[in-house]
Order: sequence, then C-alpha cells, then structure tokens
Amino acid sequence: MGAWRHFPIFMITVPLLGAVLLPFLGYVREKWVPYASLLPLGTSALLGVLLIGRIPSGGYLSYHMGGWEPPFGIEIRLDYVGLFLMLVVCGITTLALVYSRRYIEKEVSGGRRTAYYVLYLLMSGAMLGFVATGDIFNLFVFMEILALSSYALVAITGNRNAVRAAFKYILMGAPSSIMVLLAIGFLYSVTGTLNMVDLAGRIAESGFTEVLIVSYILLVVGFGVKAALFPLHMWLPDAHSIAPSPISALLSGLLVEVCAFALVRITLSVFTMRASDLVMGTADAVGVAAAAAVLYGGIMAILQKDLKMMIAYSTVSHIGYIFLGLTAFTAEGLTGAMYHMLDHGLAKACLFLCAGNFIYLKGYRRIEDLKGAWGQMPWTCFAFALASLSVIGIPPTAGFISKWYLILGNVEGGKWLYAAVLLAGSILAAVYCLRVIYYMFFQAGKEGAWEEYWHDAPPAMLLPVWVLSLATLFFGVFSFLIIPSLLKAAAYLL
Amino acid sequence: MRLLHNYHYAAAMLLFCLGLHTVIVRRNIIKKLIGLNIMETSVFFFYISLGYLEGGIAPIRTGGADPARMVNPIPQALILTGIVVAVSVTALALSMVILLYRQYGTLDVDRLMREEEPEAGESGKEG
Amino acid sequence: MQESTFSAVPLVAVLLPWVSLLAILAFPKRAEKLRLWLCFLGSLATFGVVLSMLPGILDGNIYTIKLASVVENLEMRLTVDTLGYYFGLVLTFLWLLATVYSISYIDHKHNRFFAFMALCESFILGCAFSANMFTYFIFYEMMTFGSYPLIIHEETTMARRAGYKYLVYAIAAGTVLFFAIVAHYFWGNGQLGFGRYGVLSLEFASRAALLTVFFTYLAGFGVKAAIMPLHGWVPDAHPAAPSPASALLSGVILKAGAFGIIRVCFNVFGVDLMRELKVYPVVAVLACITIVVASVFALTQDNLKRRLAYSSIGQVSYIILGLAMLAHDGALGGVMHLAHHALMKGCLFLCAGVILVKTGKKNISEMAGIGYQLPITMICFSVCALAMMGTPPSVGFVTKWLLGSGSLEAGLPVYIVVLLASALLNAAYFLPIVYIAFFRWEGDEVEEHGERHHPKLVFGKEADHELVVPVVILAALVIIVGIWSNVPGFPYSLVSKVVNVIFP
Repeated sequence: MGAWRHFPIFMITVPLLGAVLLPFLGYVREKWVPYASLLPLGTSALLGVLLIGRIPSGGYLSYHMGGWEPPFGIEIRLDYVGLFLMLVVCGITTLALVYSRRYIEKEVSGGRRTAYYVLYLLMSGAMLGFVATGDIFNLFVFMEILALSSYALVAITGNRNAVRAAFKYILMGAPSSIMVLLAIGFLYSVTGTLNMVDLAGRIAESGFTEVLIVSYILLVVGFGVKAALFPLHMWLPDAHSIAPSPISALLSGLLVEVCAFALVRITLSVFTMRASDLVMGTADAVGVAAAAAVLYGGIMAILQKDLKMMIAYSTVSHIGYIFLGLTAFTAEGLTGAMYHMLDHGLAKACLFLCAGNFIYLKGYRRIEDLKGAWGQMPWTCFAFALASLSVIGIPPTAGFISKWYLILGNVEGGKWLYAAVLLAGSILAAVYCLRVIYYMFFQAGKEGAWEEYWHDAPPAMLLPVWVLSLATLFFGVFSFLIIPSLLKAAAYLL
Repeated sequence: MRLLHNYHYAAAMLLFCLGLHTVIVRRNIIKKLIGLNIMETSVFFFYISLGYLEGGIAPIRTGGADPARMVNPIPQALILTGIVVAVSVTALALSMVILLYRQYGTLDVDRLMREEEPEAGESGKEG
Repeated sequence: MQESTFSAVPLVAVLLPWVSLLAILAFPKRAEKLRLWLCFLGSLATFGVVLSMLPGILDGNIYTIKLASVVENLEMRLTVDTLGYYFGLVLTFLWLLATVYSISYIDHKHNRFFAFMALCESFILGCAFSANMFTYFIFYEMMTFGSYPLIIHEETTMARRAGYKYLVYAIAAGTVLFFAIVAHYFWGNGQLGFGRYGVLSLEFASRAALLTVFFTYLAGFGVKAAIMPLHGWVPDAHPAAPSPASALLSGVILKAGAFGIIRVCFNVFGVDLMRELKVYPVVAVLACITIVVASVFALTQDNLKRRLAYSSIGQVSYIILGLAMLAHDGALGGVMHLAHHALMKGCLFLCAGVILVKTGKKNISEMAGIGYQLPITMICFSVCALAMMGTPPSVGFVTKWLLGSGSLEAGLPVYIVVLLASALLNAAYFLPIVYIAFFRWEGDEVEEHGERHHPKLVFGKEADHELVVPVVILAALVIIVGIWSNVPGFPYSLVSKVVNVIFP
C-alpha cells in the first residue's frame, strides 16, 4: 500500500488545515499570508497530478476515512471525472490566488486581508471535498462550508453593494441548503444509508417510492439554486459581479460547475436515472429550464452595461449549456457537459480576472469605458479576446469542442430543439462578447481615458490571466487528451 | 391513520412550510432569518424523529444494554453537524444584517433591494 | 480514398505564414520596410512550398498529416489531394501578389494588416488542405474572424458598418454550418472525411435527413459564396476593405465558401447521391438567379468596387452552376472558374486600388480619361473586363465554353441562355468603364485650345512598382492561362484529373 492511497484525503484536508493555521501567521506576519496560502493549494495540485494514472481505468479510487469501511465510514470516491474536476479546481484556485495578492491589497482593507485568504482556502478545500466525497451527508457539509465561505467572500470588501449582494445570496442559498438537508433526511429515512453507492443499490432494490421522488425534486431545487439554474439564478448576477474579481472567477468558474456536477452525480449514480418516469419528468423540466437559461442569460448579457454583470449573465447562460448536456442522457451530451465545465471554468475565470485588471488599473467597470483599451493594456485585451472566443465556441478553442459534443449529444438524444437552442446561445454569446472585443480593439477611446503607452497590469496579475486563456486554447487543440476518457466515463455512468 | 402514526413527520413538514413561508413572505430581513431558523429546526426535528425509538436508551455500550433498544445515533450525529452549520449561517447573516442596517438604514427587504445601484464605476474606485 | 503518403509538407505550408507574423513581432518599428518585405518572403515561401508539391500531385500522390484526433472519427488532419491542392495553389499565388501590392498600398497600421493577412493565409490554406469537414470548419471559422480586421482596416464608419454586417452574416452562417456538420456526423455514421465518391448514403439516413444536411451546408457555405439571397455582406465589405483585401475577399474568401460547396457536392454527397436526391435543380435555379440578378444590380452601381463586388457575386455562382449541371464539362468549367475568377477579379480589384491611390476616385462617373493617366493599369483592367465577358482567348472564354458544353451534356440548353444573358450584362457593366477611361475625356485638357484633343499618354510613371507589377502579372495570366490551360500547374491540368475521376 503506497502513500499515494492517502493523496485524495490530503488533497482535501491540506487546504482546510491551511485555513486553520493561516490566522496565526496573519497575527505574526501579515505580509506573508498571500504567499503562505499558496503552499496548501500548490500541495493539493501536486498531489492531484501525482494521482493521474493511479486510477484504474473505468474504475475508481476509494479511500475510507479513518479506516472505517463504507457504508459505515465516510468514503472518498475518485473516478477519472472526479479527479479531472479536482485538478481543474486546484488549477483555477491556485491561479486566482496568485492573482489575488495585488488585487486584494487594493480592494480589501487591511484587517480583512487575512480573513480573505482563510476563507479562500476554506472554499478551495470545500470544493475539492465536495467533488470527491462519496457520502451524501459529507457532500452537504462540504457544500455548506463552500456556501458559507462564498457568502463571506462576496461581502469581503464591506461596501454596501457587496453586503447586499451577499445577503441576497444567503437568502436564496440558505433555504436551498436546508432543502438538500431535508432531501438527505428523506433518503436516509427510506434507505438507512448515506453512502452514495450503497444508496444506489438500495434504491434499485426498493424501487421508487413517493418519498424518493420528493427528495429528488428537493435535491434538484436545492442544487439548482446553488448552480444558478435559470429561474433560481437571481442571486448570481449581483453576487458574481460585485465580489472581488478573483472571487468572481471562482464563483463563476468553479462553484456553479461543481454544484452542477454534484447534481449530475446524484442523478446518475444515486437515482439510477431511467428508473422512474418522474425522475425523467424532473429531468425534462430541468431541460426546459436550462434551455430558457441559455436564451435568457444570453439576452440579459447583451443588455448589460457593466462588464462584470455581462460576464455573470453569460454564466447563467452557460449553466444552461451544462444542464442541456446532462439532460440529453447520452454519452456525448454528458461528455460535452463535463468538458464545458472545464472550458467554461477556464474561460470565465479568465474573463473575470481580465475585468479585474481593468478595475485594478483604471477603475473601469462599464463596457463603454473599454473603448480603445488595447492601446494601454494589450496583454489583458488579448487574453480577454481569446477567452471570449472560447465562450462563443469558436474553433479551435475548447469551447468549440464542448459545444460540438453538447450539440451532438442532443442530436443523438433526438432533442433537435435543444440543439437549436444551443446554437442560438452561441450566437447570443457572439453578440455580447464581440461587442466588448470590438470596443477594445477597434474603437478609439475617450480623450485621456487611456495612457498612450503600454502600461498593463503587473505580471502577477497577467500571468494567471494568460495561463487561463492559453489553457482554453490548449484544451481545444489537445482535447484528445481528455475526451476519450470522458466518453468512457460517461458511458460507464449511463 | 398512517398520518396519525407519523405525526412527528407531519409536524416537521408543517414547520418546514411555515419557515419557508416566513422566508418568502416577510419583508423584514430579521424575520426572514427567523424563518430560516424555523426551517432548519424543522429539518433537525425530522432527523431526530427518524432515529427516535419509543422508550429507547442512549446508544452507549455500557455492559448489558440491549442494542435493539438503543435510539439510532447516526441522525443525532448528523444533526450536531447540522446545528453547527445552521448557527454559522445565522451568525454570518446577522452580522450582515447589522452592516446592511448601518449602511442603508432599513431592514425592509424591498427597500433594500430597490435602493438604486450606485453609478457604475463608483464601487471600483473606492478601493 | 486513394493511398496517401505521410508528409509534413502540408503542415509546413500552413505554418509558414506565421513566419511573417513572427517577423512583425520581432522587428522594431524602425525597420518598417524590412518587416514588410519579410512578410512578402513569408508568403513567397508559402507559395514555394505549395508549388514544390506539384510534381507529386500530378503523379497522383496524396499527402497527409494528422494533427490531432479528438476521438477516432473526429480528427484534425491535413490532406493534400488534387482538388485541395488546386485551391491551395490559387490562393497562395493570389496572396503573394496581394502581399506585394499591400506593401505600397497600405498606409497605416501596417502591423495589424500584415499580421492578419498572414493569419488568414494560414487559415485558408488550412481550409484547402483539410481532410474532413471538421478540420475544414475549424479553419473556416478562424478565417472568418481573421478576415474581419482586413475588412475594417480603413476604420471609417462605412468600414465599421460593413464589418458589422460581415460578422452578423458570418456568425449566423457559422452556426448553420456547425449544425450541418453535426447532422452530417450524426447521419453519416461518423464519416466526416472527404471520400472520392462521397461518404453519405441512403443506407444510414433517410432522404429527409440527407436533404437537411445538404441544404444546411448550402446555406452555411452559401453566405461566403454569396448565393442570393445570402449575399448581403458582399457589396458592403468589398468597397470598404482596402483594395488588396478586396481582391482576396473576392478571389479567395468567397471561394472558400464555393470550395466548401464543391467539397460537399463531390466528396461528401457524391454525384450519384446528388442525382438520387434531386437537389441539383434547386441549386441550379439559385445559381442562375444569382448570376442574372447580381449582374443587373451591378449595372446600377456607380462605385467601381461595388460594381465589381456585385460582379463577383454573379461570377461565383458560375462555379455553383457548373456543379449543379452534374455533367463532366460543367463540373470542369465550374471548378476551373474558381481559379479563373480569382485571376480576373483579383486583377480588377487591384486596378481599382491603383486608381484609388493615384487619383482618389472611387466612382466610375469620375473616371473619364483615366486611361491616359494610368495606361498600364487600365489596359490590364480592359483585358480582364473583356475576359469577364468571355472573349477569347482568355480564361473567361474557357469557363463559358465549358459551362455551355456542360449544359448541352446535361441536356438543359436553358443554362446557355443564362450564360449568354450574363455575358451580355457583363458587357453592359464593364464596357462603359473601359469606354469612359479611354474614349471620353473632360476637364482641363479638353478645353485647352478650344478643340477636343485627348490628354497625353503617360507611360512608366503611373504608380509604384509594387502596385503595378501584380496587376500586370495577373492580366498576363488571364490570357496565358486561357490559352495554355494544360501546362502543369495550370487549372486544367489539375481540375481535369479530379473531374475525370468523378465523371468517368
């Protein structure tokens, strides 16, 4: 038994432990906190990379916490898809953390800075745990840590809009958490177990009862709020646009995806999906909501004047993409959804960080202010353009690959209307993204709005932006590294 | 008959709906938080009643206790976690209520949300 | 497909234009001329590399290189078959001339223009060398966005508006095309490659499904190929773009759409399936309408480049019409017209550019007597104008002859009527320009001694060599290719190999 068997749990606990220790360091040397907080996340990322290739093909890695065998103990269950998502989480959180130092120095007042990093690590660790855990109550706990730290992070600047947005987020988030908790209670009351695999077995044995259906609907609504699925998305635009940019990047780039992923896992591996008409009916309803989300988000994004608000509405639209891929119930659709989690995560994080660069350097938030930005901030503008192309889904970026599979999946599932909706969504995306690019590159700015010479954001803020935008290109060109194993995993899940 | 037998479940659901109603309908944000807590309590109640056994004993293995008579400890353990989470959420939300009241001077959610967005660009320049 | 050999040459060709890009990035602003000539070298090298494949292609070799494969059926692959090679050769040649021309023509923001010229060349070459629809689409979309900065280069309000219109059309088309490819993948049993006789068949998919695929393809590519009523962006984009870019738009980028349709007809559906599905009359009717209506529109335009743009719309539909005949000579004429029109229209647009640079005149009505001021340019212009009408011995004549023969072969002489009508209309909108340029003169010279005498012919001083040399080369080729079309590397030598296989 090699040490690597313990890596999954270390990946989760190291950031959480870091979060516990960080306040002490903050008390002694506040200046070191931003650097020190990189350590746990870097460790997690490293462990994750070391785990690649350790997972048996088509199978999973199971870790029993405290040595207790499931279904009694808490199990960490890592298949390829899970590990893939954990690596994405590690990558994006690390990059956004690198970005944070300069940005936070400017945006967040002194006393709160350590708190920022503590919450940041909590959030990252919780996301990792959320993806990996095989125990449904544990899922809830991680979700709550995640939610709590994100509420606080949205409000961290303490200005009135931020607090209001965070409160709005709580007002929707907390009831949804309670719904999830209630649903888990229902599940437990019927099956007497909390382990997901065990649950699936018992549900298959017992067949569907009303309680299970109610609990499924509660789960869909609960996670739907967290994942900002269309009619439940109201908290998202405010929270995502007002939070500090690195946090917006995490919220938009990871949090909603991770919550969508949880719902997928519950649907596919707990409620083995085709088992009941009602589950399918719920899925159909989700499909309709997702299609509405694609269109609504896209149209709202076009109407926005504020750059971060636009990106946030674009997220609403793209969550619709992900759910449309899931409700296709084909291997291709699922692959597309998974891949979209990756490339949307990368691209959205990049866009938010770019928007952060404009705010950091010039204080510009409105799209109109970006006219002629290219003259002063070429690097940021190019990265923004590249990530936008991925959001639209222009080849050869990763967005194209995921769009391909999403549409193919819907076509194979016979859902032609949804395929058309996805295409319409990408046209809408083209409209709102290209407008910004057009302003940046082909419009002259107002007199004195920009400096004449190149004066871009500091390297520590450009590096993450560029890594992310190049990653969208990389995963577009080298999609063959991931797609086959995702297809296999998707086929296995179905 | 079945409902009567499961009266504790019915009570939990009733509380849950009551709480949800409060969260949605009340305009005062503190009342909303109270509603939230009622929801939480109802779920805790539901969990505890799951594991409850008429005339059960605490699940501590002191010699001779009959395991069949012990109440199910798992829901209780779960709910301990749940309570911690609920308290944290409430605390965080209340601290935000204080901040909101200081900055907006109102607890009415409609007035809070209706308050004009400040001119775009302002909040960015505050830093 | 025929046995294909692995070769890195296609990839080298596609990547070479990036050298120009690097040159632009690497050299400081001071070395302006040096950078521009390096761009020229980059595009010369690309042409050279493409040319180096000629002997092999004529021997019937197929070069292929796999770039990446997402899953088994979905791969990025460059394959140079005869048809792709033909398009690649035409486009790199025209690109080379346009690059030379631009060195003198472009007067601001050189960096952006040359960078995107190079990028576009790379992307379109990728289109030409694509082995399957997936690859084609990827390069096609990149080309769409790469060509946007070329169109709006002047940054006038008109250019911006044209660019906007272009993007709207292109994005809508890209979406339809994307749908077409997904549907093709779905109903074609995962076969996205180009088969010699087509890959789709009624075995796997219903008639309605295949019709859907065909017409979505037609609509998707039809926007670039400017089939009416999808042509809206063309008359705006051409006058707005700088002349070398207009030449490329008309000569190459429109052809990328037409080439897509050629691929769809020959290599995706195949002639037999097209016959079976009975789609060709619809296509032919669309093409005929476009040919006639565009020519009529061209008559009414006073802006020279706008008139040329409408003319392009009509001419590209010759290619489509040739395909829709489903006859040996028709296909031959249509596909050869791809090169022929690139030569003619490239030359005409470059002439329009010379006129614009030297005299600042955009409208035909202002061009009286311009032939004396710019004799070489206007002679070349006249040569191409006559060629457009189909006067022998020129490439235009070859096209018309083959298309006419094809329509007889197809048993539909009505196409000849359309071709004749088009020739007449061509004459009606080109000859006045020639006439005005040489035989009507107004202004100072006329009134000088109270009697009309024409201004002096001024040779040799009309414009920079960078501007005139490409024009002359193209005009000469219009004649030479028209006469000796079978010289290796010239259109007939390549296209006949393709068409002879398809229509034995």
